[in-house]
Amino acid sequence: MASVEANAHAVEPLVRVEALRKSFGQLEVLKNINLDVMPGEVVTIIGASGSGKSTLLRCINLLETPDSGHIWFHGEDLAADRVNINKLRESIGMVFQSFNLFNNMNVLENCTLAPVTLKKCSKAEAEERALGHLAAVGLSDFVGAPVTSLSGGQKQRVAIARALCMNPEIMLFDEPTSALDPEIVGEVLNVMHDLAAEGMTMVVVTHEMAFARTVSDRVVFMDKGVIAEEGTPAQLFGNPQLPRTREFLARYLED
Amino acid sequence: MDRVQRAHAGLRSAGDYPMSDNSTKAAAAEVVAAEQKAPASSGRLGSFVHFVTGDHRYVLLATSTVALLGMWLSAQQRSAMSFLAPLFVVELVMYYALVAWLLLSAAGLVTKLMHWHDYAQKSPFARDPLRTIERYGSYLVVLITCVLFVDRLVMGFVSVTMRAIAADSIPEDGLAAALYMLYEGRDLFITGIVTTVELAVFGTSIAFFLALLMAALRILKVDRPDNDFVRFLKALGAGFAKAYSTVIRGTPMMVQALIIYNAGFAALRGMGLTVTEINGLWSTFIAGLVTVSLNSTAYMMEVLRGGIESVDPGQMEAARSLGLSQWQAMLRVVFPQGIKFAVPGLSNELVINIKDSSVLSIIGVVELMFEARSVAGIYYRNLEVYLVAAFCYLILTMVATWLLNHLSRRLDAPRMSTTSDSTNAAGVAND
Repeated sequence: MASVEANAHAVEPLVRVEALRKSFGQLEVLKNINLDVMPGEVVTIIGASGSGKSTLLRCINLLETPDSGHIWFHGEDLAADRVNINKLRESIGMVFQSFNLFNNMNVLENCTLAPVTLKKCSKAEAEERALGHLAAVGLSDFVGAPVTSLSGGQKQRVAIARALCMNPEIMLFDEPTSALDPEIVGEVLNVMHDLAAEGMTMVVVTHEMAFARTVSDRVVFMDKGVIAEEGTPAQLFGNPQLPRTREFLARYLED
Repeated sequence: MDRVQRAHAGLRSAGDYPMSDNSTKAAAAEVVAAEQKAPASSGRLGSFVHFVTGDHRYVLLATSTVALLGMWLSAQQRSAMSFLAPLFVVELVMYYALVAWLLLSAAGLVTKLMHWHDYAQKSPFARDPLRTIERYGSYLVVLITCVLFVDRLVMGFVSVTMRAIAADSIPEDGLAAALYMLYEGRDLFITGIVTTVELAVFGTSIAFFLALLMAALRILKVDRPDNDFVRFLKALGAGFAKAYSTVIRGTPMMVQALIIYNAGFAALRGMGLTVTEINGLWSTFIAGLVTVSLNSTAYMMEVLRGGIESVDPGQMEAARSLGLSQWQAMLRVVFPQGIKFAVPGLSNELVINIKDSSVLSIIGVVELMFEARSVAGIYYRNLEVYLVAAFCYLILTMVATWLLNHLSRRLDAPRMSTTSDSTNAAGVAND
């Protein structure tokens, strides 16, 4: 939003992506990406399939290793060799399209595994915190359930609670609703909406245009490995500058 | 409702089915098996009772083959222990009961040929007064055949066994000779079986722990936070595991046994020990156990690797995204899931080791094959001895398979029923 833009020079960005490049074999997926994410900001990345938006998100917590460029987080370059990414990842929550809940554990264990293993807190404390987060996503009744017994929407809400249990400073969402039935997309979007309202910094790759329009502070449109256009939702949805952006949005607004 | 009733009637009668009464025996067996499986709800005994008390479409076809078997048994020579020998009239009645049953079946077949498509409606054999009689008749036929089976085959075998045990020298007859050698050489066979089981059980157990280590070496990849020393160790470990697997899986176990035994012998000799001292330390059993363990390690490592690699990569990614190290993610998330995929392959290794330890007789390990050869050397009856050995191996592997199946089912059970006991479950994750 405008105020955030104005403060950009005063406040350090939480994550700064600089000149990022990534190729899979011959295919150049990311071509010189620059992106700042301010604390408390909600950035949605939209774009056609194969435009590189998921790869960009996965580069931010090094699930994909960039070929060149920098990812600054807390004054450290995540993309540099031999950085302790394990430590930095503790502050970067990630939610996957296919949930990726730990199948060998129940709901509560999913949430307490990382805090307890990484000695962030005692087991009792971790469980208490996990119960709080599970209650916030409306899953208090499923604490002891094996994750395989949950529905898709419940799984994704557990995944969000699991990430929150590490007290992250930023949350990355990689198409969190793409694997869900249309009628249960809402329950996950509501949780994300609440999270944004609490002031969590979020980067969301999504095809949910309504979510991008109402919740985000900034929308980034990616096309063929570059950031084609970015701006506030009002700017991007109301008055897109590029023909490519207009074409993409037209196709989505038709549906 | 009408459709349900029709379907039910169809299940009960032959006429609705295109299959014929004179189709092959295999088809009949299939139908019999299928009908046996149908009521799965009440357990094995319940389904057996259900099968026996039910009316079946192929009752005449199936029991006429049983009757034929009974007639064939009746034509066999009686042994000394036959209990039907003094009851000649009884057996004669039984025999003609079977013949009568065959005639009845033949009549049933004729009506089937006459009413191919509407057998169930037209034939008296498919309708109630006669169908119930067929069922009780079939009980009688099976009973008669069972009595003949016991009289001829079971009592015959007992009689041969008694004769073989009592014999002063090895009998001519093959079965009697095998039984004679099994009895006379029982101490040797028991020693052999015990040694074989020891080699397989201890070898597989040792190999499992070594394989865990090797699979870890093979699977852990160089990770970004690793320092130079860790990177060097990981590369070295992965290379070693790979080379080990290639060499072991690419050479026969017999050759490995010879090399390991002789290498150990030469090494101890080089240290200045006498042959007697070496034989005390480096016995053929120890060398054989080392061979089985090292050999099995390579295969089990590949099984474990396959199990771990078949876990969804998203599990690893999710664990890493929370900040867990590669090792922590492997230990807590990936391995517990991968080991389940590996269980069938791992238990198969025990069965393989029971059989493959037979090659260790080449270095003189006193296991089952070695003992079988000793017995063959005493009596000069190779074929019978090796048939006995094969029979022993078969029993061992069948018992092992049965035990392992039970064990793996039990291992899976608590996982499936993990429910609301969160404190206990969290404790597991916290260990």
